[in-house]
Amino acid sequence: MARFIARRVVQLILVLLAVTFVAFGALNFLGDPLVNIVGPLAAIDYCDEVEAGLREDSYTSINNSRGDCEIIGEAKADFGLDKPVVQRYFTWLGNIITGDLGTSFQTQLPVSEIIAQKLPKSLMLMVMAQIIALAVAIPVGVYSAYRAGRGIDRATSVASFGLLSIPNFALGVIVLQFFALRNQWLPASFDDTSVGTRIHSLILPATVLALGIAATYQRLLRTDLLTTLQEDFVHMARAKGMTDRHIMIRHALRPSLFSLITVFGVSTGGLIGGSLVIEGIFSIPGIGSEIVTAVIRDDFPVVLGSVVVIASGFVVINFFVDLFYTWLDPRVRSS
Amino acid sequence: MNTAVPSTTAIDDIANDETVNDVSKRRLGFGFWIAISWIGLVSVAALLAPWLPISDPNEIANGAPRDGILGDNLMGTDALGRDVFARTIWGARISLGVGFLGILLGVVVGGSLGIAAGYFKGLTDQVISFLAFSLLSFPALVLALLITASLSRSFLTVAMTLGIIGIAPISRLARATTIQFADREFVQAARVIGAKSRRIIIKELLPNVLIPMGALTLLGMGISIVAEGSLAFLGLSVEGEAISWGKSIVDGSQTRDLNQNSHVAFVPIFAMFLTVMALNFAGDRIREYTDVRETAF
Repeated sequence: MARFIARRVVQLILVLLAVTFVAFGALNFLGDPLVNIVGPLAAIDYCDEVEAGLREDSYTSINNSRGDCEIIGEAKADFGLDKPVVQRYFTWLGNIITGDLGTSFQTQLPVSEIIAQKLPKSLMLMVMAQIIALAVAIPVGVYSAYRAGRGIDRATSVASFGLLSIPNFALGVIVLQFFALRNQWLPASFDDTSVGTRIHSLILPATVLALGIAATYQRLLRTDLLTTLQEDFVHMARAKGMTDRHIMIRHALRPSLFSLITVFGVSTGGLIGGSLVIEGIFSIPGIGSEIVTAVIRDDFPVVLGSVVVIASGFVVINFFVDLFYTWLDPRVRSS
Repeated sequence: MNTAVPSTTAIDDIANDETVNDVSKRRLGFGFWIAISWIGLVSVAALLAPWLPISDPNEIANGAPRDGILGDNLMGTDALGRDVFARTIWGARISLGVGFLGILLGVVVGGSLGIAAGYFKGLTDQVISFLAFSLLSFPALVLALLITASLSRSFLTVAMTLGIIGIAPISRLARATTIQFADREFVQAARVIGAKSRRIIIKELLPNVLIPMGALTLLGMGISIVAEGSLAFLGLSVEGEAISWGKSIVDGSQTRDLNQNSHVAFVPIFAMFLTVMALNFAGDRIREYTDVRETAF
C-alpha cells in the first residue's frame, strides 16, 4: 500500500504541474497578457523603432507625460514579460507555492484574498448538492433495482433519462421561475445574514445541481446492484431465509457502491462547471460569479488564480477518491 | 443462474431481466426513429432558416413587445418585440453548428490520438495518455472558459473550444477500444502477411473503433450543445448579433422576463431539451444495439 501511495503522489505532482502549465500557457499564448496590464496601448507596434532611436515616443494619456513605449517597457519589466514563458512559468509557480497568487488588476486586492472570500460559498453549494444527490439517488437506486423491470423502475428510468437530458442552467431557469418568482416559496438569491439563511437560500440552486448528478448515481447504482444480486452470496442469504429488505441493504448495497465512488470524483468536475453557471442564475457571490466578472473585465490574475485553485482542488479530490477506492477494494491495487 | 425456476420474487426477476434486454437490443425500436426524425427536422429547419417563411429574427418590434404564445406571433415576442419562434429556428443554426463541428473535431483529433496510443503502446501511449489525463484534470467548463476567455469568440473559435473539451475523453475511449482489438487474431493475421502499421490501423482497427465512436458522436453532440449554453451563461458564447439557443435562454432569463413572459426563455429551453434528449436517446440505442457496453472506458 505504501508503494502504491508513493506512486500515486508522484503522479499527483506531475498532473498538478501539467494543469498549472496548461492554465498558464492558455492565458499567455491565446491572449496577450500585456493587453491585460496596459490595455489598448499593447497594440502599439513601433516601440522597437523608438528603442533604436529612429522615432520619438508619443503619449496618448494626458494624465502622465511618459511616452507610451516607456509605459509598455516598464509594465513588461514589472511583470517579467520580457523573459521567456518557461522562466515566467516557474517564477509564477514558485509564487503560487508560497501562497502568492498575484494581485487583481481591477481591485488591487491580492487574488488569494478574493478567493478565500468567495470559495467558501461555492464549496457550501457543492457540498449541499452532493448531499442532496446521494440522499435522493441511493434510496431510489436501491428501490428501482429491487423492483427491476416493474412499473416503478421504468418510471424512474424515464425520469432519470429526462433529468440527464435537461441542462442544469435550463433546470435552474425553470426552477427559479416557478419556485422563487411565480410562487415565492424559496429565495431567488443568496442571503448572507446567517448560517440558516445561507442554507435556506442555497436549497434551490443545490437541488438543481443535485438532480443531474443524482440521475447518474441512480443509474450506476441500479446497474451494479443488479450484478451483485446475481452473486452466490445473495442466493445464500436468500436460502437462509433473510428478508429482501435485509439482503438489499445489508448484503448487496455495500459491494455495489464501488462505481458510485469512482464517479463521485468525476461528478465533482461536472458540479464545479455547473456551479459556475448556477451561481450566476441564483446571484450567489461565489467563485463562479467572480470568474465571470473577471473574464468580462480582463482581470488576468484573478482568472488564472481561480482556475488554478479550482483545477488543483479537482485533481486532489480525485487523488483521495482513488486512494479511498483502493482501500475499499484491494483488487484495484494489483492492476 | 437459476433462470429455469419460475420467478416468485423480485430478486428472481432480475435474473430474467437480462434476457428481456437481449431481445430489445436486436431492434433499434420506434423511439429511436422518432428521435432521429426530430434531429432531422431541427437540422433541416436550421439549414433552411434563411428561406423559411418566418420573420426576421433580429427585427425589433416585429410584434408588440413581450407578447404571449399564440398571439400575433406564433410563439410570442421578447422584450424587444422580436419573434421568438424565428429566433429559436435561427438559434438552431449556431447551436447545432457548433455542436456538430465541435464533436467532429473532437472525434477526428481524439480518435486519431487514441488509436495511435492504443496501437503503438510504449512511449507514444504514455505521452498521449498523460496529455489526456492533464486535460481531464480540468473540469470541462473551466477548460472551455480558459480557452474562450482569451480569444475573440467567433463561430469557429467556440466550435473549436467545444472540440478541445471532447478530445481527452474521446481519445480514452478510442484507446480502450483499440487495445481490445489490437491483439485479436485478425490483426495478428494481417501482421503475419506483412501489412504495414498504416494499413492495419485503417483497414483492420478503424472500422471496429468507429462503431462505438458513432454512438459517442451523437451523445457528444448533445453535450456540446449544452456546453454552448453554459458558455452563453458565462458570457462566452459566439459574440455579436449571432443567435444561439444558449444566448436566447440567457436573454429570456432576466428576472422581469421570467416573471411576465417566461416563454422567451422556455421556448428555446424546450427546443434544446428535446434535441439533447433525442441525441442522448439515439446514441444510447446505437450503443446498446452494437453492444459495446464493456468497451466504454
